[in-house]
Amino acid sequence: MAGRTPEEREALSQTGTQVLAHFTNAGFQHISPDILQPADIFLDRSGEEIRARSFVFTDPSGVELCLRPDLTVPACRYHLTHAAKADQESRYCYCGPAFRFDPETATADEIDQAGLEWFAAPDREASEAQVLALAVQAIEAAGVKDFTIRIGDLGLFSSLLDSIAMPARWQRRLAHQFWRPKAFHELLLQLTGSKTRTLTTISPRIDALGDGDAESFVEETLARETLPLVGGRSIAEIAGRLSEKAKDRKATPLSAEDAKRMDAYLAISGTPETCAEQIATLGLDVSAFNRRLDLLQQRGIAPSRLHFSAVFGRSLEYYTGLVFQIETADGTQLAGGGRYDKLLQDIGSPVPVPAVGLAIHTEKLTMASKS
Amino acid sequence: MSPLTLALPSKGRLMEQAEALFARAGLNIRRIGSERGYRGIMEEAGIEVAFLSASEIAQSLKDGAVDLGVTGEDLLREAMPPEDPRTQVLLRMGFGPADVVVAVPECWLDVATMADLDEVAVAYHQRHARRLRVATKYIGLTRRFFAAKGVTGYRIVESLGATEGAPATGTAEVIVDITTTGSTLKANHLKILDDGVILKSQAVLAATKMAAAHPSTAALIAKLSAAL
Repeated sequence: MAGRTPEEREALSQTGTQVLAHFTNAGFQHISPDILQPADIFLDRSGEEIRARSFVFTDPSGVELCLRPDLTVPACRYHLTHAAKADQESRYCYCGPAFRFDPETATADEIDQAGLEWFAAPDREASEAQVLALAVQAIEAAGVKDFTIRIGDLGLFSSLLDSIAMPARWQRRLAHQFWRPKAFHELLLQLTGSKTRTLTTISPRIDALGDGDAESFVEETLARETLPLVGGRSIAEIAGRLSEKAKDRKATPLSAEDAKRMDAYLAISGTPETCAEQIATLGLDVSAFNRRLDLLQQRGIAPSRLHFSAVFGRSLEYYTGLVFQIETADGTQLAGGGRYDKLLQDIGSPVPVPAVGLAIHTEKLTMASKS
Repeated sequence: MSPLTLALPSKGRLMEQAEALFARAGLNIRRIGSERGYRGIMEEAGIEVAFLSASEIAQSLKDGAVDLGVTGEDLLREAMPPEDPRTQVLLRMGFGPADVVVAVPECWLDVATMADLDEVAVAYHQRHARRLRVATKYIGLTRRFFAAKGVTGYRIVESLGATEGAPATGTAEVIVDITTTGSTLKANHLKILDDGVILKSQAVLAATKMAAAHPSTAALIAKLSAAL
């Protein structure tokens, strides 16, 4: 893009102003997070993958900086710097560009966003319902009527995992692979014993450890083979995983029934009310899910307007609970958001801070409102 | 049709072995200008020669600044994935073998596979509040391989030499590096992961899309193949 014409600029700025006014009227403070951000926070949170999609560069003193690839992390940093206490309830909104690189088309994108973040809200479902309602109202106020609202709930998947008896390590592995459907399925086959375990170069080590004490086993092995302890992990960390691997061999495999329950859950999709019934038959507590639906109804959003899918949110590793996306009929994503309860602690908060937020693509909304 | 330009490594074993192969194929390279000149001509094939550093060759092919190039497959793939339409490998030349591998400290008795590394990366982040670091000069290859294996929670630390020393000096926990015999890794108490071979590299002749279809190229390949 070579820039905006006066008309395009005016239309975009009007959309932004209207959406922001909507947010400030609802009690959100208008802030301006920095465009230049320390790259470390993004890289340490999201890992290397983000580097391929962001503009990371070195300042003259050698510090790695980036152009903000989203405004959520910058808003979190603002909060941790300005709030008296990290878990003090705070409501912020903002409007401005985020910068991303699309590695597939090798193009740079400036994405104009208006968004909000609500930290330490006392009532989880009420804050979620309000955030989703604010997104819907902002889009409707821009004159867009024809759109779909897709929702998912990553908290339900966590409670499904919690409801199945298995070693903590298996639970961690399943939760981690949730984001990669193929690897998840492979792992499930392995844990139910339907797939024979493949031998690796460390299998003899695990055989040798057996029921023994893992820490002394590691210490003795390193001493005997004169292996220096390098690579930043302690004997306890290495021993901990080794002994978990040894225990895995003795653990009762996951039952076929439990695997089926997981598959059954992941297959659920449709209107939220029908889905809630199906989820309840799997033995999960749906009271929070239903309460959120009631609160949305009170805010004028009928459950029939929502489409739930258990696997929705699989590509957005950072969410921990409700996740939503608003799309036009042709699939253009106008807004997205959800709950992300771990992020603030990940970037330095000393205490857990529940958080829920949303972002609206103001440029796409401007275009959708014209058509 | 204007003559094609072939880029050859300007120094080192790769240059010696490439020139030897071209000589066996009856293709003599006459350097233009002084003995240290960076241009040459292969009269029998009607091809001009540019002497560049091995890593510049991959980039020059990518940019289309040269038509043909002899370089390590590792350097070519670092610059471009195999599916990149801009270039293709025409000939594997049988010298300069080396593997690009993922290696971890031998003292990590609990780690054998990329799946283990993925788990360790998650646990490391939780315990140390920072990401596991991978030292390498192969940033592109590392990113693509780790993504294909589903390993995401790590950071790359660019390393332009003595990469194998990074875990011992504490600048990274894991490395991605090139190895031929594995003895350097062993000496540094590192082990290659079971499924950690990213690429089995050797010297290749690669061409831009345009040059691959050029008649001079077909003749060149025929002569080189016969000499292999």
